[in-house]
Amino acid sequence: MTKALLEISGLRTYFFTEAGVVKAVNDVSVEVNDGQTIGLVGESGSGKTVTALSALRIVPRPGRIVDGSIRFEGEELLTKSESEMRKLRGPKMAVVFQDPTTSLNPVYTVEKQLTDIISLHREMSKEEASKSALRLLERVRISEPERRLKAYPHELSGGMKQRIAIARALSCEPKLLFADEPTTNLDVTIQAQVLELLKQLQKEFGMAMVMITHDMGIIADMTERVTVLYAGKVMEVADTKTLFTAPKHPYTEALLKAVPSVAQTRALEVIPGNIPNLIEPPSGCVFHPRCKYAKGICMKEVPRLEKVDERHYVACHLWRELKLEGKAS
Amino acid sequence: MVAILGPYIAPYPQRSYQPLYEGDAAEGPSWKHPFGVEESGIDVFSEVIHGTRNDMYVGLAAAFLTALLGVAIGAIGGYFRGLVSDLVLGVTQVFFVIPTLLLILLFARIFLGLVFKGFGLTLIVLILSFFGWSSVAFIVRGETLRVKEMEFVEAARSLGAGSWRLLFRHVVPNILSPVIVITTLNIAGFILTEVIVSFLGFGDANTTTWGLLLNEGFIFVRTEWWVSLFPGLAVVVCVLGFNLMGDGLSDALNPRLRE
Repeated sequence: MTKALLEISGLRTYFFTEAGVVKAVNDVSVEVNDGQTIGLVGESGSGKTVTALSALRIVPRPGRIVDGSIRFEGEELLTKSESEMRKLRGPKMAVVFQDPTTSLNPVYTVEKQLTDIISLHREMSKEEASKSALRLLERVRISEPERRLKAYPHELSGGMKQRIAIARALSCEPKLLFADEPTTNLDVTIQAQVLELLKQLQKEFGMAMVMITHDMGIIADMTERVTVLYAGKVMEVADTKTLFTAPKHPYTEALLKAVPSVAQTRALEVIPGNIPNLIEPPSGCVFHPRCKYAKGICMKEVPRLEKVDERHYVACHLWRELKLEGKAS
Repeated sequence: MVAILGPYIAPYPQRSYQPLYEGDAAEGPSWKHPFGVEESGIDVFSEVIHGTRNDMYVGLAAAFLTALLGVAIGAIGGYFRGLVSDLVLGVTQVFFVIPTLLLILLFARIFLGLVFKGFGLTLIVLILSFFGWSSVAFIVRGETLRVKEMEFVEAARSLGAGSWRLLFRHVVPNILSPVIVITTLNIAGFILTEVIVSFLGFGDANTTTWGLLLNEGFIFVRTEWWVSLFPGLAVVVCVLGFNLMGDGLSDALNPRLRE
């Protein structure tokens, strides 16, 4: 097996709020190989974003990484100094955020936003930086790139803004790109374009990508491997195909059933209840209050991540006995 | 706004630096001396224009310095946490509640004798700014707390920007519009304060300001009303002008009204 580019293991990131300690990420392990696209899927509040922010060590306060290990290209990140981390952010890892209307600085032109990051990491004259900003805009397929360079974010459409945000994230050619629900705030037609663009760019730049989403459709379309998160815990890890055809965790099954499809004849299923309070998570398996298969043991014991086969792991007491329905691919 | 400011910007080229000494008698307004003549034979019109220049200097310089101090202190206090933040907030609050005018008068009295001639106004500027930055700092601190949580700051951090860069290149430019508005209002405020200081006789007696003219005319206000009236009017028009300008700017810069 190839050596992992990013290897997160046993990560715990807690938020120390006045109401109590929110265990946003509670023992999560994720592995990303060179050039691979993996998916992090789960409902809002399941710890997807916090996992990504932890990898870059930019968890906002009052959050803190309390335990675990994050290795990037074999180097442990949690012991690095802040200034060493700063050099990694951009040239090694970058993030595309969910909402391009807020992730671009409203007071600067597109050119300034891009050259700001370029000149931060590379010794370059102003003209060279401008030129590479222009090249970036071309690479993210923006029409009339010269004119857009001088535009302010509010003069651009949502899809264009997200392209700019992607261009900015790619400005230092990162090895790994976190795409944090990059299409959630876009129109459906634009969504498809942006996803297609990300796919192409990933090939062009030869980078690995972590696709953070709650949309199983995007997972199916974009990723090779998936980690299913729920309430800050890993529920299931598998190759995308396996996950869709033979899910082993009831939560994965429920997520799959909550996706509409054209061929569908039965009503769309919802997952009853809400994501649990992360200050006092449920005892035993965090998913048991909402799980229709739950038994006594689920309330008492925290399930461990068990091996189904070499590439498939699941955290459920009952996975051996359950016959879960997947989607025909 | 420009129309309001126009009347005292326009006469600038016409200002006569040399006071006209034409005998000792005080004269009422006439064609030759539209604002009349003082006891000592000084043309009030040219003195008012003189005063405009000096008062503008005080107002603009003090407001600018205040904005600089307020932004720096407020931004640092809002961005960083823990001891720095508490310290900044504490100091700001102290400066916010102390009776500023009294201390300004006290400082003016103490230090005016100590500075070189001609630096009196600059000293006033320094004193005014020293006591005036807290309101700007409060606003900047609050805005910084708000803006620093915005996603574009996080985005810049995720691409390797450090704290100072984040603060001064990404946060501060986004909070300048309220600072501009309050600075405009501060200009009016500082001019008014300077008028009070000079009127009370705590200012620099060697430099013509509206307050000084008011003070000089005050004793003879029954007979020689013009000596006080015209500088007084100048103050009113000027302060009103800057206040209107502040209102106008706050409307123009308000993002909710703009978008």
